[in-house]
Amino acid sequence: MTIRVAVTGMGCVSGLGQGLAANWSRTIEGHGAITAFALPRDGEPRLSGPAAPIRELDQSGLAVHFDRRAVGQIDPLTRFALVAATEAIEDAGLIGDPVLNRRTAILIGCGSGGNETFDGAYRRLYERGQTKVHPQTIPTAMISAPASQLAMLFGIHGPALTIASACASSAHALGEAMHMIRAGRADVVIAGGTEACLTLGSWVAWSSLGALATDTCRPFSIDRQGMVLGEGAAILVLEAWDHAVARGATIHGELIGYGATSDAAHITMPDQTGIEAAIRAAHADAGLPLDVPVLISSHGTGTRLNDATEAAAIRAVYGDALSESLVIATKSAHGHLIGGSGALEFLLGLKALQAGRAPAILNHVGDDPACDIPLALARSDIAYDHLVSNSFAFGGLNAVLIGRRA
Amino acid sequence: MTVPPTTAEIIAIIAEEARIDPERLNPSATLASLDIASLDVVSVLFAVEDKYGVEIAVEDVTVCETLGQFVDLIMAKVGAA
Repeated sequence: MTIRVAVTGMGCVSGLGQGLAANWSRTIEGHGAITAFALPRDGEPRLSGPAAPIRELDQSGLAVHFDRRAVGQIDPLTRFALVAATEAIEDAGLIGDPVLNRRTAILIGCGSGGNETFDGAYRRLYERGQTKVHPQTIPTAMISAPASQLAMLFGIHGPALTIASACASSAHALGEAMHMIRAGRADVVIAGGTEACLTLGSWVAWSSLGALATDTCRPFSIDRQGMVLGEGAAILVLEAWDHAVARGATIHGELIGYGATSDAAHITMPDQTGIEAAIRAAHADAGLPLDVPVLISSHGTGTRLNDATEAAAIRAVYGDALSESLVIATKSAHGHLIGGSGALEFLLGLKALQAGRAPAILNHVGDDPACDIPLALARSDIAYDHLVSNSFAFGGLNAVLIGRRA
Repeated sequence: MTVPPTTAEIIAIIAEEARIDPERLNPSATLASLDIASLDVVSVLFAVEDKYGVEIAVEDVTVCETLGQFVDLIMAKVGAA
């Protein structure tokens, strides 16, 4: 019999704020985090544009559990993950629980490593002509630092891995975590993603790609220009159902399906066939027929090609049954967290199922015939039991998660 | 020319880089007793270099046993620049 996978802890930080409560309330109220932004954060601006930055981070929650010296030198990439994970593990009531020591794994999705640390180190070399960089540069900036720091701080001795699949990283992390539990390899997995890509080097690189909007993020709208970068982390505690029930944990929802495919087509262009295949695979995995009405948390980046391709794939998969479903696109509120996006969108989608309310897609200024899907253009009351959360990354790496209301 | 730092500013850098509460940083205490490891010392030297533009070699610091000696050495190097 398949082991069911419960969501027993949730935590996040983004430009919307710190903690799931703040992120959800701003999302449902339609108060997006995208704002005028410039880098460097202190000093003469070198690049400006819309972004969804984290302006301040309250780390007192970390101080409650950990000595300052234990936390060590960390990049924002790790800091965001620690803040979100502490919230999630507290929420699950697992701080100090023996299961962390024995039967817990960590799977963290990141698109890139510690950009701020690398930027700072390389400025010494290239800008100032210095010959050395800080000896902690590699351990601070390595893409696996968040997973290692989480393991050290919480005393988690199971497998601790980082999954990198660009913008789908944390969706893949959640899906693979679900399978670890189903396979009996762990009773608990701390899973999600983090990204700290709002540094000058990273932002310029994204900008050079021509993928960034100069106004704001308008998923599925006419006149959409592209994506807007955000930053932050979203971490969940996934737990074997019986384990959660036996210890009396509060179950927020269930992760019931995961579909992952690779387009094997192009390094930046999305491919409708691969996307469709991932959605179908997730439904097959969940045993959820395609004609059951669902809340769809789209990838919805706001780029011309991505949104049109995703809309076409959604329409092709669901057909006429789609009219009873509803599509949300919360990147219009929190921006694109790259490796953190999939997990944050799954969390917010699960909250929407719980609350029976779907947040409006922000900044939509008119229908695009190429995006003919049922969009949540206003905040709506909903009664869906299932969430389909899409993540489609550069390089054609697709991950679709299906959640169920508890 | 950079304004010379005050002792308090150097202490603040050490507190930040070594992640120790500033009130624990008694000048007569040894670096060892404060749990200031060699990697912390290097971190302090990098922060001083970034802030004041003065490069201090790790080897120069090995003679320092107490926090006060460490601070004095940094002050001397930065002041001489």
